[in-house]
Amino acid sequence: MRLGMVIDLDRCIGCRSCAVACKSHNAQPPGTWWNRVFTPGSSFHQAAVGKDGGLQMEALPVSCQMCDNAPCQKVCPTGATYTDERGVVLIDYERCIGCRYCMAACPYGVRQFNWEDAKEVKARVGYEAGYEYGYPVDFRDKDGRLVFTPNRPAGVVEKCTFCAQYLAEGELPACIRGCPGKVRTFGDLDDPNSEVSKLIRKRQTVRLKEELGTSPKVYYIAPAKPIRLEVD
Amino acid sequence: MEKKSVKLTRRQFLKVSAAAGVLVGTAGTASFIHKAEAAPKEVGPNISSVRTTCSPNCTGACGMKALVEDGQIKSIIQAADYPEPEYNPRGCLKGLSMTNLIYGPDRLKTPLILKGKPGSGDFKEASWNESLDFTAGRLKEIADKYGPESIGVLFQVGGTGYVQKGAVSRLATLAGWTMHHAYDQNGDLPMFWPMTFGVQSEELEPREWLNTRYVMVFGSNILATRIPDAHFLLEARNNGAKIMVFDPNFSPTAAKADEWVPIKASSDAAVGLGMARVLIEEKLYDSEFIKTFTDLPLLVRVDNGKRLKADEVKSLVKPADIPAYREAYVAYNGQFIAVHPEKLDLPSDVMIEGDVEVSLKTGEIVNAKPAFQLLKESLADYTPEEVEKLAGIPADDLVRIAREMAGSKPLHIIYGAGNYQWYHGDLKGRALALLPVLTGNIGKPGAGISTYAGQYRIRFKVAEWWVPEGKKQNWLPFLYVLHGPTKTMKAKWPTHGIKALVIGWGNPFDQHNMANKLREMVEQEDLEFVVTTDFQMTTTCQYSHAVLPAVSWYEKTDLVATPVHPYLQLQQPAVKPIYEGQPEFWIIRELAKRLNPEFEKYFYPGLEPDQAAQKVIELLLKTGGPEVEGITLEQLQKGPVRLKSDVPGGRQIPFYDQVQHKKPFPPVSLPAKLEQTAQFVKSGRIEFYKDEDIMLQMGEALPVHKPPFEESEFALNPMAREKYQFSYVTRNAIYRVHSTHSNNVWMNELQEGKPRVWLSPKDGQEKGIKEGDAVEIFNDRGKVTAYAIIDPGVGVKQAVFEQGWWSRYTNGESYNTLTYPFIKPTHEIYFVPGMWAPNTAWNECLCDVRKVGDAL
Repeated sequence: MRLGMVIDLDRCIGCRSCAVACKSHNAQPPGTWWNRVFTPGSSFHQAAVGKDGGLQMEALPVSCQMCDNAPCQKVCPTGATYTDERGVVLIDYERCIGCRYCMAACPYGVRQFNWEDAKEVKARVGYEAGYEYGYPVDFRDKDGRLVFTPNRPAGVVEKCTFCAQYLAEGELPACIRGCPGKVRTFGDLDDPNSEVSKLIRKRQTVRLKEELGTSPKVYYIAPAKPIRLEVD
Repeated sequence: MEKKSVKLTRRQFLKVSAAAGVLVGTAGTASFIHKAEAAPKEVGPNISSVRTTCSPNCTGACGMKALVEDGQIKSIIQAADYPEPEYNPRGCLKGLSMTNLIYGPDRLKTPLILKGKPGSGDFKEASWNESLDFTAGRLKEIADKYGPESIGVLFQVGGTGYVQKGAVSRLATLAGWTMHHAYDQNGDLPMFWPMTFGVQSEELEPREWLNTRYVMVFGSNILATRIPDAHFLLEARNNGAKIMVFDPNFSPTAAKADEWVPIKASSDAAVGLGMARVLIEEKLYDSEFIKTFTDLPLLVRVDNGKRLKADEVKSLVKPADIPAYREAYVAYNGQFIAVHPEKLDLPSDVMIEGDVEVSLKTGEIVNAKPAFQLLKESLADYTPEEVEKLAGIPADDLVRIAREMAGSKPLHIIYGAGNYQWYHGDLKGRALALLPVLTGNIGKPGAGISTYAGQYRIRFKVAEWWVPEGKKQNWLPFLYVLHGPTKTMKAKWPTHGIKALVIGWGNPFDQHNMANKLREMVEQEDLEFVVTTDFQMTTTCQYSHAVLPAVSWYEKTDLVATPVHPYLQLQQPAVKPIYEGQPEFWIIRELAKRLNPEFEKYFYPGLEPDQAAQKVIELLLKTGGPEVEGITLEQLQKGPVRLKSDVPGGRQIPFYDQVQHKKPFPPVSLPAKLEQTAQFVKSGRIEFYKDEDIMLQMGEALPVHKPPFEESEFALNPMAREKYQFSYVTRNAIYRVHSTHSNNVWMNELQEGKPRVWLSPKDGQEKGIKEGDAVEIFNDRGKVTAYAIIDPGVGVKQAVFEQGWWSRYTNGESYNTLTYPFIKPTHEIYFVPGMWAPNTAWNECLCDVRKVGDAL
């Protein structure tokens, strides 16, 4: 089994709902975003790129690309970053020593570091006393590795887990359920009958920085406008 | 509040989860299909989920599910439980981050009474009793001194909460206060609707977009302002519909379109008229349709511009069975025909071109022409070359698009607020309405013209709750509060004007204080008392004398049904009210009994607010009429229920009944009675020729293009022509619902917490402004500071500001200090609240920009 995702950029409206669903459900502290949506080529989201007559504006959501050949995992000196039996790249927060080699190694810039205790950072927002957001329960993988905890301690690196805590309950990741554009499809890349496999066969897909040999399991369907013949 | 720590070992967690029967297994992927549920469902230790409806003033009405643990909402996700899978999963980034507002630092904790000056933030915390006694006392004093009609009530959009907002209407009616309708207050009322179709507004439900073949979007940014429905536009495109976006700016919606047609600001009418001219010149119109359903065959007297009435004509008798709000006009097919306004059955040989001599009962003989002939003559000015000059659209493109459009049915026009929130917005709508009407694209699947900004239509009858015992209500368009009364106004101006405001669900001191007028009115004690209910400390709360803490839509019971989304849905409390907050219903009941002990009985005394709200919902379902017939509270508790409609399959297709069954226009616009709105289109037909005196005087009997600013900014100050050459456009960003979420920590992280002004590279260069520079946008009335985005997609001489920022993010100045409450006289011909009323024209505003700080 290899879990992967297909993101249809033709359908993506750049609304950033996936990023917010991810942030909320995974209890990310202020400043941390596991999932971001960019307007490639533009200095500001949803500002046009190009010149008169050749303007464009596309949206690109980027989170952990779940590489089959994950550079972050290779450089991790403690084995904190590992790939589970479903191909999901995860971080064991109890093993991470915060050396941040993985952040340097990741070509996608999706890994984020907890400089401070997450609880303290969140408290500075000024929520009601005692309020904490996000999935409230720790989640450990089958070998007992801590791959989700609502407040990651200072000194660990974090990133997208495909919502490990929800997968365990048979639920889809938050970004998928949170996407009003139905842009994202999730499933087993090894299963030829899965929706993701069918999409990859049927549609033209690209993977980010494929030339680096990282072999991501996140596929993108290129944005395209329908091409029609001019009718006189 | 103490929080119980939930720390479970993996083994314990597995046990609990397995016991709850939800665990599929850490390694399992067997079930990635999300199962929607309506009843709270255990998903883990102490975790449950509650299905409710998100209802800020975007009117998206998205079903959301709150994940609740130990009485706290931990996260929110789309409920995705609509029986039609096309509508799942409805929601957006704001709704997903409501927890930041519910538990955020701006949450009101207790009632507050103003100690210092308005706006000073100097409040004292008060008990509910003290604050309610104070509020009721002040309101009574003001009512005694100036009359109860001097108390104005703002309660925003009814469809987002029929119970709680209805309670405000109920009390305002009992107390004799004056209500301000949000539709015209917010500038969202597209006045072409009542003028042309006799309705408040109409729209295709977004699922119908899939049936469209040609979509023309004028001044609407669906991708940012209708996030839950935007996918339908892309699906329609990928199904083969052509998407044409007409906009001065390259918006996200334009980026997804087949073609983006940049046009000059406020030139949409010229484009519409130019295309209508092509349709008529090349005989691409549906002759049968316009003869049957429009006023275009009706004769107009050439001598006075008035439509010829049947009882004026020598040989004709006005049919006897015509209601007072209708009129019988005249058509000609070799003989004069008295046109019955409730029968759409003119013969197919009726004359639409040419002219005819008519003998009147007075003995006069006058020349008359069908409205179609006059339209054709009027359109002669709008040649492709002329429209190119007026609007900037290449002449060849105009002709090509008009032909394409005529050949692609169904045609749907999305007429956006960026287009109509101008002084002559009504003319643009009337001009654009010509396109679907001339081509017969009305009342059919996937066809028509729709407005998706400002969704105020009431979906069912509410009088039993909103208007106790059918008592008379006082209504006053809000523009008059800012502008002062006019000689031509039809609404009743209270003898002493408005001396107090009762505000809920809105932030007018940021969002509506044109020319800072509202703040000045409070500071100068012209407005003697302002009370606001809200769940957050908004700028409006800062300017209020009393602040009463309400609750968010996750803490109360209500009923939601907005026009854009065809479902009736419940709001169910996911958690108890936070701090001392109370549902508005409770606050209103407490105020009511203090104002007059007699009033209490109207508000279910003795019942808890949620119980009472359920009673009100049952009452509304029982008395709401055909749209909600047979729907029960129990059904709604299980999940959303589609509203009923006469259209087969219950679909939402405007004017279906009129066109398919030849019923006279207009259909009813609730809550108005038919006679109130039918007077707008007395012929019982779609009207393009308006012969009211003011229409004739202003040269607007037929839709015409009028340039922006001439009758507004330049009439106010001729110097503005030289001094202020930038259009000040206040558009929506994806990060706010008007001013709600202005303070949402995550929304602000996504945009660095800074208000922005979007400028073209050319203007940036001329003004010496680089990306990131602090820029002051200013005119004689006010100013606001924002940070520059230099965007090659922005049209020249435009300062585009993303609206909704609370003043604390803009140095204390509201971005609305620049705007002005222009009142267009044609909006005063009739007055029906929120249906024919003077409408705010946000974009009718000129300014200049200057750099005031370097980029950091």
